Amino acid sequence: MHDHKAILAQHVAVRLGRRSVLKGMGAGLFAATAGAALPATAQVAQSGHLRVGAITPIDTLDPHFTFRLGSVQIISNICNGLLKVVYDGTTVSFEPDLAATWELEDDRTHAFTLHPNVMFHDGTPCDAEAVRFNLMRVKSGTPASPHGWKLEKLEEVEIIDAVTFKLHFSEPYAFLPVALTGSIGRAGTIVSPTAVETFGEEFGRNPVGTGPFKFVSWEQNNSIELVANEDYFMEGLPKLERVSFMLIDEPSTALAALISGQIDAMNDCPMQLTQQVMAMPNLTMYGRVEGNYTYVGMNTQRAPFDDVNLRRAVAYAIDRNAVLQQAYFGLAKQAFSPISPPMSGFYDENIADSGRGQFYDLEKAKEFRALAANQEVIEVTYLMTENPPAGTRVAQIVAPLLAEIGIKVNLELLENAAWTQRLQDRDFEMVDFFWTADLDPDETLFPEFRTDGAWNYWGWSNAEFDSLCTQAQVVLDVAERSRLYNQAEDIMLAEAPIAMLAHFPLYKVFSNRVQGFNYVPCDLMNLDTVSFT
Amino acid sequence: MLRQASAKIFQTLVVLVIVSIASFSLLKLAPGDPVVLMLGSEYSQDSYDELQAQLGLDQPVALQYVRWLRDFVTGDWGNSYVAKTDIFAFVVTQALPVTLTLTACAIVLAILIGVPLGVVSAVRKDSAWDVGIAAFALTGTAFPSFFLGIVLIWFFAVKVGFFPVMGFVAPWEDFWSGMLHLVLPALTLSTFFIGMIVRVTRAAMVEVLEQPYITAAIARGEPHRRVIWVHGFRNILMPLVTVIGLQLGAILQGAVLTETVFSLPGLGQMLTGAVLGREYVLVQAGVMLTATLFILVNLAVDLSYPFLDPRLRAR
Repeated sequence: MHDHKAILAQHVAVRLGRRSVLKGMGAGLFAATAGAALPATAQVAQSGHLRVGAITPIDTLDPHFTFRLGSVQIISNICNGLLKVVYDGTTVSFEPDLAATWELEDDRTHAFTLHPNVMFHDGTPCDAEAVRFNLMRVKSGTPASPHGWKLEKLEEVEIIDAVTFKLHFSEPYAFLPVALTGSIGRAGTIVSPTAVETFGEEFGRNPVGTGPFKFVSWEQNNSIELVANEDYFMEGLPKLERVSFMLIDEPSTALAALISGQIDAMNDCPMQLTQQVMAMPNLTMYGRVEGNYTYVGMNTQRAPFDDVNLRRAVAYAIDRNAVLQQAYFGLAKQAFSPISPPMSGFYDENIADSGRGQFYDLEKAKEFRALAANQEVIEVTYLMTENPPAGTRVAQIVAPLLAEIGIKVNLELLENAAWTQRLQDRDFEMVDFFWTADLDPDETLFPEFRTDGAWNYWGWSNAEFDSLCTQAQVVLDVAERSRLYNQAEDIMLAEAPIAMLAHFPLYKVFSNRVQGFNYVPCDLMNLDTVSFT
Repeated sequence: MLRQASAKIFQTLVVLVIVSIASFSLLKLAPGDPVVLMLGSEYSQDSYDELQAQLGLDQPVALQYVRWLRDFVTGDWGNSYVAKTDIFAFVVTQALPVTLTLTACAIVLAILIGVPLGVVSAVRKDSAWDVGIAAFALTGTAFPSFFLGIVLIWFFAVKVGFFPVMGFVAPWEDFWSGMLHLVLPALTLSTFFIGMIVRVTRAAMVEVLEQPYITAAIARGEPHRRVIWVHGFRNILMPLVTVIGLQLGAILQGAVLTETVFSLPGLGQMLTGAVLGREYVLVQAGVMLTATLFILVNLAVDLSYPFLDPRLRAR
């Protein structure tokens, strides 16, 4: 074998992008040589009060416990992660955030240097001790964090000095860059240990971080208020003085408020409102196809979908074009496999021509249907609920399409919580659903399809799939990892516990009075660079 | 009269107890274990038992009910496990004032618009006015509030730009801004009610205007306006007050939708959120509170009859 350090360095360079490694190192050098002599941050005058209509649910502002991306959007403005997600318009990369430098000493040891003199909003220092406190809180705190699995392989946080520490892992950990971000990974978000101890259970209503904005108040069903952190460690940021997240349940009300100028932005825009937004000259919409996929899921542990041929028939019988046009108004992209466009290095731009994955082919569907054990007309129940991004529209399009292959679909509309309960109890035959904000193939495949995986509602199990994904977890080489995931994917798609539908865009809308928004394709709403014109 | 009043109050208390049993049973009958909901997806049997004991859910149901009722009456409504805040403080100091302000404005608006229209309709019975007002009243009653709200928003707030689209500003903090924010929601909420009041006022007034004392008043040469607004109006107060009291339930129901459309942080939005989030403790408190409000208003209506009609005082 070659020198493993050289190989790793090369892989990390691919993963991070050459530019960011250099920048990260540069910043570290600067900090080490001149940092002490200069003031930590130059004072900048912040101005403007941005009001954002928040139409997606928010559960808690404790990054280590939230399940909601609506919460992550706000938390990302209050807290930093060790790493952050960066998007240059084409590729997604992971760069140091609170960390000034990030180096791999060997394939299981990651060395970090923090920006010096960074303070939490409560005035306590954000040092290596604080980082250890946070990582251990996620890994093994009480109550247990739902993101603890992301740090399962973390063995030790070794503190060298106030700003330097090393993370020792039991195995090479390919998912680490995503896990350590302060946004989507959530496990690497650093909050004030003092505040966690002071507020206890109520920390989620009183978050304290190092971010560009400080938390002020959260009035239930009304608004969440933030003010600028004047001592933010990123020079010249934030630009706004105040931010209010106005909690609005009804999207059309939020849009009306945006058009009339009562608010300045929306954190999401349902597909049915996008045309209206685009027709408004004073609004700008941001949005690309993000790291997600939608699908029709089938219960493989119960008749009739315990029959693999029937599932394959379903996978080929759905006219994806009809679904894309009618359910997603032509805004989404056909999904052949779960790996989605922002997964730079893993997503195959030419998958449509490769013959891989699932797609519409009625002849093939009929062939598989002829192989199914039950040749009678099969009646199935399809559970619908008003979920984003397409509500009950997918079900209504899929039902008549399946009639073509002798499956009579009975649609049952449920309220969201009842629907979720039925899914978790595996008391269903068919549903459609989505997984969103994934930036790495591991999180998009493994918990969803692993035998007894947390989100494997389909009850599907395949030893080879499990083994391929487990292997890929400890491979750092992107090409090699990608090959393993493609194999795993092919196995899953051929057995069809789900029928792939689409990768869909998520939108953010800003008034033209506002400028400087940096769009990142994982449902983030970072407001540090935003200002009024 | 005092005896009559105390009988009414006693009846009300009995109804309240029945309502409390019903709303308590609601929690017991609803699917899903509150302990599991509070603990989230991952928990141990120990923490389950601990929380169950802490919530008193391991006790006999009858005892749980008595405890719950005691806590409810003393204002100890527990903590919301989503918001981690005291439910009593949240409901009573934040949500309730919003809903009460909204409903009060809607009722006042409905009376101010509905009563004159009903009276005009009765006085000019079978005229073009009458037909026009009847059509207006029916349309108003038939219009669903969530649709009307959005139409009003698009017209008055977006196109004309006269009123704010959404949000609540407490009128006791900033009167004008508060009122401006309330106009559209109150109008939306009251439309259904206006139709109801118009029809009741008209029916009652038509009947009253045929009474001998009205003929006598006209014969005495009293001014037309006085005949209607003094002699006539006094006598339609009873049916009017009854309808307003009875329709409070419908108004509170309408408030759920109106608050969602206009993004007002009131009881309606709180209840919707609690139901969707399966926050039974909050649902229970909300149901109990709205039921209590409804019953108390009906009690007030009952007790007001002797003041409205002197004939009832004699007995």
